[in-house]
Amino acid sequence: MTEQLSPNTQAILLLTAPLLVGSKRSGEKPLSLGEYKRLARRLRDGEREPADLLDDPLDDLLGDCDLDPARVGSLLARGLQLSQAVEHWQARSIWVVSRADTEYPKRFKQRLGMDAPPLLYGCGARALLATGGLAVVGSRHVDERLICYTEKIGRLAAEAERMLVSGGARGIDQASMRGALAAGGTAAGVLADGVERAALNGENRRLLMDGRLVLVSPYDPAARFNVGHAMQRNKLIYALADAALVVNSSFGKGGTWTGAVEQLDKLRFVPVYTRVDGNGDSALEALRRSGARAWPEPATPEELRRLLEVDDTAPAPARQERQASLFGEPR
Amino acid sequence: MSYDPRRALDLLRKGTGLSDARFRDGQEEAIRHVVEGQGRLLLVQRTGWGKSFVYFIATRLLRDQGKGPALLISPLLSLMRNQIAAAERMGVRAFTINSSNIEQWEGVEEELKQDEIDILLISPERLTNERFRDRALTAVGGRVALLVIDEAHCISDWGHDFRPNYRLIERIVRNAPKNLRLLATTATANKRVQKDLRQALGPSLTVQRGDLHRPSLVLQTIRLTTQAERLAWLAEHVAALPGNGIVYVLTKRDAVQVADWLCLHGLEAHAYSSDTVQREELEQALLANEIKVLVATPALGMGFDKPDLAFVIHYQAPGSVVTYYQQVGRAGRALDAAHGVLLSGEEETEITGYFIDSAFPSREEVERVVEALETHPDGLTQPQILAEVNISHQRLKRTLKLLSLESPALVVKQGSKWQLTAADLGEAFWERAERLTRLRREEQRQMQEYVSLESGHMEFLISALDGDPGRVEGPSLPPLPTQADPERVREAEAFLKRTSLPVEPRKQWPPGGLPIYKVKGNIAEERRAQPGKALCVWGDAGWGGLVRRGKYSVGLFADELVAACADLVQQWSPDPVPTWVTCIPSRRHPDLVPDFAQRLANRLGLPFAAVLVRCEDRPEQKKMANSTRQALNLDGALQIEGELPPGPVFLIDDMIDSRWTMTVAAWLIRSKTSDEVWPLALALTGPGR
Repeated sequence: MTEQLSPNTQAILLLTAPLLVGSKRSGEKPLSLGEYKRLARRLRDGEREPADLLDDPLDDLLGDCDLDPARVGSLLARGLQLSQAVEHWQARSIWVVSRADTEYPKRFKQRLGMDAPPLLYGCGARALLATGGLAVVGSRHVDERLICYTEKIGRLAAEAERMLVSGGARGIDQASMRGALAAGGTAAGVLADGVERAALNGENRRLLMDGRLVLVSPYDPAARFNVGHAMQRNKLIYALADAALVVNSSFGKGGTWTGAVEQLDKLRFVPVYTRVDGNGDSALEALRRSGARAWPEPATPEELRRLLEVDDTAPAPARQERQASLFGEPR
Repeated sequence: MSYDPRRALDLLRKGTGLSDARFRDGQEEAIRHVVEGQGRLLLVQRTGWGKSFVYFIATRLLRDQGKGPALLISPLLSLMRNQIAAAERMGVRAFTINSSNIEQWEGVEEELKQDEIDILLISPERLTNERFRDRALTAVGGRVALLVIDEAHCISDWGHDFRPNYRLIERIVRNAPKNLRLLATTATANKRVQKDLRQALGPSLTVQRGDLHRPSLVLQTIRLTTQAERLAWLAEHVAALPGNGIVYVLTKRDAVQVADWLCLHGLEAHAYSSDTVQREELEQALLANEIKVLVATPALGMGFDKPDLAFVIHYQAPGSVVTYYQQVGRAGRALDAAHGVLLSGEEETEITGYFIDSAFPSREEVERVVEALETHPDGLTQPQILAEVNISHQRLKRTLKLLSLESPALVVKQGSKWQLTAADLGEAFWERAERLTRLRREEQRQMQEYVSLESGHMEFLISALDGDPGRVEGPSLPPLPTQADPERVREAEAFLKRTSLPVEPRKQWPPGGLPIYKVKGNIAEERRAQPGKALCVWGDAGWGGLVRRGKYSVGLFADELVAACADLVQQWSPDPVPTWVTCIPSRRHPDLVPDFAQRLANRLGLPFAAVLVRCEDRPEQKKMANSTRQALNLDGALQIEGELPPGPVFLIDDMIDSRWTMTVAAWLIRSKTSDEVWPLALALTGPGR
């Protein structure tokens, strides 16, 4: 099952990935998402693809996209580092897909367009990423009562045979996934740190092998947690789901808040619900004032399934112009 | 990149030190291919053809044009020292990082960072080494312009010399983008191996292949059943051979024994194995013709290049024709004639068979390891696994290595701990293990076919390697005699029985200690055994057979063994001299060892006292597969009964395996006395013996 990476994916890894093989990073800084977007546009306009960077003179390909050819050249010269990193991931059952691959989750491309991460690393059944489901988000530090509440939501999702999508962090994230998985359901964890540690966690092993859990992250498998990453990955959680429930949130700050507001104001991928039994929770009330709906507390699998059906009354997605895949339709 | 032929020739002349040197057939084409980036290249050329000139000159030319350094992966770097000197003459700064020069790593890492190294030479093992990955490779991995895989046939699991670490190299090559230049080299690759390499290195691979014939070699096979006969043959004929050479043996112990024997007969002979400390000095001494013969295990291997090596003699037949061709092919590269003599004997099939059978773990061993890791989701260190699973240290190491080199791997090492991945071990692993085992058996059989040849030896080897045997010319030297002198055979028999083996005392309790005896950590010096002795190795050509018969057929150790031990004691003369004898008790064979110890005591004129007793039955030590388990099996099993006679003591046992029995017994005896305890056993056993 050793997959061979396409030349396009190899090129995108060389350009944008830190390729952490050892604990130390060295050399040129990989291209940022913004820089890569410029390059990708330039390539697309010239009807070229990233793999062409591996053998054609750089100057022609880079053109006017304001990237230093020396820097791009030394990023592309990391061939050995790339192959070492890929081998390290494959040994750990970690896969990587790029936007140029047919296996890249369509939901990300459709909903995020050019902002879809150029690379995704993951472990477990990639097919789950296409199934949709219920996203559950909330804080890391919560009391036992909310943990119980969230686990029940997870269990209900499992009973409704819908995937649970969350961020794999402590607190609400893990409670929701735990609830779903313990009840025999499926779950996707969109991680803010690299997937390597979670992929090797003995508690996840069976679930990953049985195709019930998928872990995914846009960050290098060895990357450590960082707040910026945590914020960025919120939109990926929403993008994988058909509806989202905010269990709790701090007011005006923190990842949960920012992610929810971004959905309500800007991205509008999915209907956003908030928990209502916490009367007087000012953050959730504020989100409702911004357009979040009250969670109707579905009690049966049937009710939850209906809630997750495509909702025509939801506000139209902010960006309807469906980006074609980056380098033409997947080949 | 453009290729500069004048600069290339100039470099060749600098490297060889010959102002009129010319490229050999194919060398220049290969250099041009690499420098111009025409795609991946596989060079199949015999050792000594000059593959190193290809990669050193290509490296220099690439560096001239501002490219990054080259990385060379080779299993036997120790043999590259001469080549590194040639590289330096060409202005190629070459360094190696290996386990023997750790003190230089930091400097090399720094120079890599400063881009002051042109080619870094590493062993395949380095690639899995964490510190190397973290530091050196991070410094260089981002810039390597040319990757050279030496002995590339090791990639193929149809190769005679498949090495687990090369599975990693294969995948690294598979995953490498096409802008990384790649040169693979080997001296031997039959069609099947070439097909595998094409698969691993990509369909666009170019193969350049040289001629396999070695016209200067006079090949000969002689069957001499016993080791004594072969020792006698060597003593008689090696001294008479002109020049210097190598005697290949299969085991480390044979290397030492054969070298000792040849020294006794006035030859400058030295043993060479992976245990040898001064390997480099010995290689240099052989190169400089300062020693007549190196008695070497296959550790003296690929790449050792002495053009005027006059003979290669095998003390036993190796496991495959390719191995044999490579080893014998070291002789006579620059001579008109050289001897390649294969002595074949009774024990070789058992030894090569042992290597074949122990190459892969059993399904049960893998299951046990997985079970242990499943119950510890955070992972286990290797010593922790040994305490949980009854599997030998060597086998566990090998099992973990093989499992971690699968992709996806079943286990991976994260820091110091082994963890399971989210993958199962595929059936393909077992299929490969079975296929390789069958292949090895077939190679072993083919080698015996070679041993039986009356003529046409070179044609046989070339055909076996899928070469063209059409142009083979006849030998230019008369063959050597095929008999051994009976008088010398008797002498060799006596020699084989004269040896004794050191038994080093253990200085530390096992990881976790022994809870019943309440000990852990270091064993106090005043409670340790003294350095002991054993008469032979279980089943060896000297006393081994007699010990085995005594233990399992007769139930009594023969008087010859008593006499042999008494002789051993006399030669050994431990100081302070023991004044009494005791022995290790057994419930399974209550009389065997005490009877022997009593007779030995009589012979030595010392009193015998059975002061050690077994408190309870335990499984036999030999059923405990690793040292930690063997130590735990003894915990609380022995105790002292009665008064100890005064003075130092001989502690007798029939067999020593893990040394724990002797360690615990000595520790108990020395709880009652400050006098020394000298272990003495009939045979050493244990894994691999």
